[in-house]
Amino acid sequence: MINYFDPATNTTSNKPIDFNKDYGTPASTSTQKVSIEIDGVTITVPAGTSVMRAAAMADINIPKLCATDNIEAFGSCRLCAVQIKGMRGYPTSCTTPVKEGMVVSTENNDIAKLRRNIMELYISDHPLDCLTCSSNGDCELQDMAGAVGLREVRYGFDGDNHLDAKIDESNPYFTFEPSKCITCSRCVRACEEVQGTFALTIEGRGFASKVSAGTSENDFLSSDCVSCGACVQACPTATLTEKSVIEKGQPEHSVITTCAYCGVGCSFKAEMKGEEVIRMVPYKGGKANQGHSCVKGRFAFGYATHKDRVTEPMIRDSIDQPWKVVSWDEALAFSANKIKNIQTKYGRESVGGITSSRCTNEETYLVQKLIRAAFGNNNTDTCARVCHSPTGYGLKATIGEAAGTQTFDSVMKSDVVMVIGANPTDAHPVFASQLRKRLRQGAELIVIDPRSIDLLNTAHISANHHLPLKPGTNVAMINAIAHVILSEGLEDKNFIEQRTDEYNEWREFILDEINSPEAMESITTVSAEQIRIAARAFAKAKNGAIYYGLGVTEHSQGSTMVMGIANLALATGNIGREGVGINPLRGQNNVQGSCDMGSFPQELPGYQHVSDDVLRAKFEKNWGVTLDNEPGFRIPNMFDAAIEGTFKAMYVQGEDILQSDPNTQHVQAALASLECLIVQDIFLNETALYAHVFLPGSSFLEKDGTFTNAERRINRVRKVMKPLAEFADWEVTQKLSNALGYPMNYQHPSEIMDEIASLVPTFSKVSYEKLDKQGSIQWPCNDEFPDGSPIMHVDNFPIGKGRFAITPYLASEDRANKRFPLLLTTGRILSQYNVGAQTRRTDNQTWHKEDLLEIHPNDAEERGINDGDWLGITSRAGDTVLRAKVSERMQSGVVFTTFHHPISGANVITTDSSDWATNCPEYKVTPVQVEKVTSPSDWQTRYKKFSAQQKEHFKRSPKKQKASIGS
Amino acid sequence: MSSSQIENLVSMLNQIANNNNYKKTDEETAKVVANHVKRFWARSMKENILKYAANDGSQLSPTIKLALAQL
Repeated sequence: MINYFDPATNTTSNKPIDFNKDYGTPASTSTQKVSIEIDGVTITVPAGTSVMRAAAMADINIPKLCATDNIEAFGSCRLCAVQIKGMRGYPTSCTTPVKEGMVVSTENNDIAKLRRNIMELYISDHPLDCLTCSSNGDCELQDMAGAVGLREVRYGFDGDNHLDAKIDESNPYFTFEPSKCITCSRCVRACEEVQGTFALTIEGRGFASKVSAGTSENDFLSSDCVSCGACVQACPTATLTEKSVIEKGQPEHSVITTCAYCGVGCSFKAEMKGEEVIRMVPYKGGKANQGHSCVKGRFAFGYATHKDRVTEPMIRDSIDQPWKVVSWDEALAFSANKIKNIQTKYGRESVGGITSSRCTNEETYLVQKLIRAAFGNNNTDTCARVCHSPTGYGLKATIGEAAGTQTFDSVMKSDVVMVIGANPTDAHPVFASQLRKRLRQGAELIVIDPRSIDLLNTAHISANHHLPLKPGTNVAMINAIAHVILSEGLEDKNFIEQRTDEYNEWREFILDEINSPEAMESITTVSAEQIRIAARAFAKAKNGAIYYGLGVTEHSQGSTMVMGIANLALATGNIGREGVGINPLRGQNNVQGSCDMGSFPQELPGYQHVSDDVLRAKFEKNWGVTLDNEPGFRIPNMFDAAIEGTFKAMYVQGEDILQSDPNTQHVQAALASLECLIVQDIFLNETALYAHVFLPGSSFLEKDGTFTNAERRINRVRKVMKPLAEFADWEVTQKLSNALGYPMNYQHPSEIMDEIASLVPTFSKVSYEKLDKQGSIQWPCNDEFPDGSPIMHVDNFPIGKGRFAITPYLASEDRANKRFPLLLTTGRILSQYNVGAQTRRTDNQTWHKEDLLEIHPNDAEERGINDGDWLGITSRAGDTVLRAKVSERMQSGVVFTTFHHPISGANVITTDSSDWATNCPEYKVTPVQVEKVTSPSDWQTRYKKFSAQQKEHFKRSPKKQKASIGS
Repeated sequence: MSSSQIENLVSMLNQIANNNNYKKTDEETAKVVANHVKRFWARSMKENILKYAANDGSQLSPTIKLALAQL
């Protein structure tokens, strides 16, 4: 029997959402269904859906200008007017919710006339330069003029108009051309609702009303705008347009991929012309970001084709020699020979490597496999050592899995959100926007941080608590909070009884008077009353969620603090459902993935310990080698062994250890003692200045693979251009392995993922096919959870019951004293990323050209310091010189800086003090002295000289000029 | 093995012990330290500290000595 399509029975509410379509208003989350008739078509949709969205779901596309589906309906343009049986006049379909039995007409002569009249008014104050306009081909105003059949403008163009309004080109990435503005407010509302910054407003009334960034004196750059681009995306005309589109024209195809900046893992449509990225547009179907982005992901992609990209392999025998450009084969043979000779001379354990948290899961997996199988030892580590290794240790010990428990979306069900040692507006901006949305809906905020972070300035927030503790006293604080909860009987007794073990010992420990907020007051410097109020708020919340960052982990008690956080979540029953949980905000794009993929020296992929004979045998069989059953070196152990003279070669993929790791002079000494340092990177980074082999890397745009974000979400990375240096990073590792005599023959990264799935129990059902079908997968994804696991630990923990850990507070051995009276803490800012290798090569430099030392006015006054003064900062490890920024974001006694620029030498000052369990460096507490100086530090002078010498070695390389590509 | 290397290993051991000795006997703490070292330290680090314990050991506390005896 032939089935004819009958529009009248087209009930489309089950049709999957097309993320490339604009439905006009946001989706309703109601589970109640309502049926209505639109133009003779019956459609059933969730209650609360607008008539406009319901129509769009039935493929009836009502003209609109001021409506778009990531912001609430506004009803200002009136273009979407319809007629509804029983209602007077022409209600706007965007602001009218569906009602059972409603009968809607979206087109007839009256409606058409009304819409034409509206468009005529709009166009009477709009330039008619469509053919030369930057938005030609991507302009909703143009589309609507066509849709309503506008044929004339009876008013003429001679009256008062805005055609001469001045263009604002101050933002490096987009222009604001108000002559093309139709004052639909989409940009203003996107800034408020999507980004949560409230930088834009409509100034004036009536004819004089116009979009304004801040006050009338501000341009976009000097305003509060954080350049997230939500306004540019929302603009239906050419008013807000990417400069790249103005310069190059409209893209012709797009590919969905994943951002390579922070651990949020935003999905983007890379909009292309051939092999050139024209713009990155956040993809609405991306579950981590839902169509939003920040200044880095959306705009700062130019580094990928920057002239500094090194695209040919280079070798040299020692670091005082110039680089020699060679073929891939020669570079790989040279590397393999060196490694083999060193192992013959100094032993199997004298070599090792570092996997990259910037590269894909598949690439990370291959590097650790090469180290374990081809080098024959477990000397593998990754940058998580210096950021979230305590998360792995602490969460595994308490809840049995080394990962966050929630989806990002879960925060929309939280009633109280506790943010500890994290600065999401700068370091995880897209998640911060979602969190702010929830805070505006009424959730309470508790911030535990020495600094007054920007999240505390969220507009329209109902209640916030700031506990500005002294750096290094996290554990004292978390114990005091738990003490309040237990002593006031606010714990979740049912949860504790059913889901946890070892409670009584912990209870006895926490209730000890030494853990009371009153006793801890002198340590944390936060008043007991403030702690009690915050603790009660958290414990009494229906859903309490904890988010934390490196301010938790990068301490000598980092692992203890992570366990303290788990204790708090267990004691209050805040695990195993939406709105709650323990959420580490992971730093780099794939740091969760690099940990999952077996980068740590003691664990094979999937956190399977090397000493477990059964687990190891599985890998030995698959890889066809015998594996070492003893853990290998962690990064700091490698450095120590190098200085000692027993560790001689390193393979470092996509990681700038010299700039990012603490105690720079110690790292320099370690790298200088190596006989063979192989660096694989897209730029000649700081570490590469000490390298003997440089293997050019590929950016995220040049390869296929996957990244795993902070919510365990495995997202696809898709190749949009050929690798500039011919090979993707996974291919280079494979070639190096083959040169070393351990064969690898993968044809595509999907084959590597298949191997991972066969070896890692939490990945057993992961495949590229499933990723393409589902869009993304949150592990565990196996027989038990075939579609993945958005929320973990719903019924039980991988270790059965959750375990309370005893977490006594110990003061950091590095304490402020007479010689070093201030505490330095380091962090990031929004526009730059980590060591800055990428963002320093983009226009993000506009916002942060140098690292500054933020100092409290009291400390500044005591030392006679003013804004912009040169300051010498000295610790027991070293000294450097930075410019001063007097700021009240810091408490008195604490200074802050970023580490985005190599010349700053922020890590010359940080010390070798580290977490007791994982050796994660104590970046957040370094006792220092600060004084006014007139010249750079000795280290900076030496650095400049060395860096210049190395640049000369790079330049002298004869074929180097060929490597310059792009502009 | 230089003295600064040994100093470093000793301070790592002390840190592990100090973070795990709440209301524990020396024997209990030593067991935790030994397990931690077994699971997380590289072979050569274990060898170096055992060599030091055998030849000198003056910087090792009784708890650490107990722990090392279990390796």
